[in-house]
Amino acid sequence: MIRLEDVWYFHGKSPIIKGISLTLSDSVTYVIGQNASGKTTLLKLMSLIIPPTKGEVLYNGENPWRSGKLLKLRKSIAYVHEKPILLRGTVVDNVALPLILRGIPKNEAAERARDILREFGLENIENKRRKDISSGQAQLVSLCRVFVLDDLEYIFLDEPTSMLDIENRRRVIDFIRRKHTKKVIATRDLALPLQLPGRVMLIDAGELRGNITLEEYRTRFLSYIY
Amino acid sequence: MDITLRSIAISFSAVLLAVLWSIPLSLAISRSRTKVSAVIVSIFTSLVGIPTVLIGLVLSTLLSSTGLLGFLNLLYTPYAIIIGQALLITPWLVSLSYDVFFNARNTYWELVISIGADYRTADLIMLRETLPEILVILLLVFSRAIGELGIALIVGGDIEGRTRVLTTAIAAAISKGDFTSAFYLGGILVLVLVSISLMVRLLKVYKE
Repeated sequence: MIRLEDVWYFHGKSPIIKGISLTLSDSVTYVIGQNASGKTTLLKLMSLIIPPTKGEVLYNGENPWRSGKLLKLRKSIAYVHEKPILLRGTVVDNVALPLILRGIPKNEAAERARDILREFGLENIENKRRKDISSGQAQLVSLCRVFVLDDLEYIFLDEPTSMLDIENRRRVIDFIRRKHTKKVIATRDLALPLQLPGRVMLIDAGELRGNITLEEYRTRFLSYIY
Repeated sequence: MDITLRSIAISFSAVLLAVLWSIPLSLAISRSRTKVSAVIVSIFTSLVGIPTVLIGLVLSTLLSSTGLLGFLNLLYTPYAIIIGQALLITPWLVSLSYDVFFNARNTYWELVISIGADYRTADLIMLRETLPEILVILLLVFSRAIGELGIALIVGGDIEGRTRVLTTAIAAAISKGDFTSAFYLGGILVLVLVSISLMVRLLKVYKE
């Protein structure tokens, strides 16, 4: 279980996250907010990419930044950036990398990478390089690079469907639904929680403005739309 | 030809020497992101414009027989020029590579950390990803080193067949009134610099 206790994050002197306290225990948790509301920073804090300036991020009651378990814990979580970042090499090389980092032999890693790419209909680009694929394909590859891991406790997805067409959006949502890993999803896509149920955290200007159930969200969402 | 090859060998060695301390330093600074690291970068950035004669003066004082490093007997040897040029390009290397690493930390490094890499692996992958940019920087600082005069003249002494490099040879030819040789050597120097510029351009094209 992840718990945030009065977490603050400053960029220079400006506070980006302002004293957020919350507990993540649901299978799917959404972080919803407008542009520059602090969603990405909050996800990076939760996924142990950046340390809080003040406050604590606790994994099962322990602060990994102090307990010395940071690197070990990072192997059980993964974060997908909003803007896909692909490395040198082919699409297969990119998707196989997290497996290789976990000590899986290169051939086996490449085979598993090809399997997941096939599942997302990307077999035709598996040998292409980052400059030769579209931004939507890059986002799918970036997602596959995390979806290929089956030993994760948490996946943090930052706007996972922002560049995808309807068909690929459906594929990703279906895959996330089937994946037995706890998911934390930052999104501006207000319809996403209705398709893939979960708890909703509403964030605005770095502050947590709501921690609500799907039912409450549905009511608010419908009143917002109509 | 002898002078040209010596110039290239000396400046190339100076770049390699400077890389030994500059790249690890800028990697370390880019990782820490504290006020101290910002101060260190500012210091190196302000040292970019340090006059070559000043480095030559300090180095010759240190390397002279009565100096702190006099026991090394390096004054008026190619090694003294290599050390001097390495010191000259260090601020360039640190500040320019710091910018590259700082940006890469927010992208490649963060990405690799987010999929389970340890810090050492993340640094290595980040280095691999930024290699074209770093090579461009190395070529630029090489051209800075090969084109300098003050250090080569003061700590090298322009000894024919030993420490004479393109810039000191040009200066010597001018002082003798031999402008034909000076222009000829100047042409070679420009040719080397243009070749470097072309390589930089090619690397940028390759990167894109």
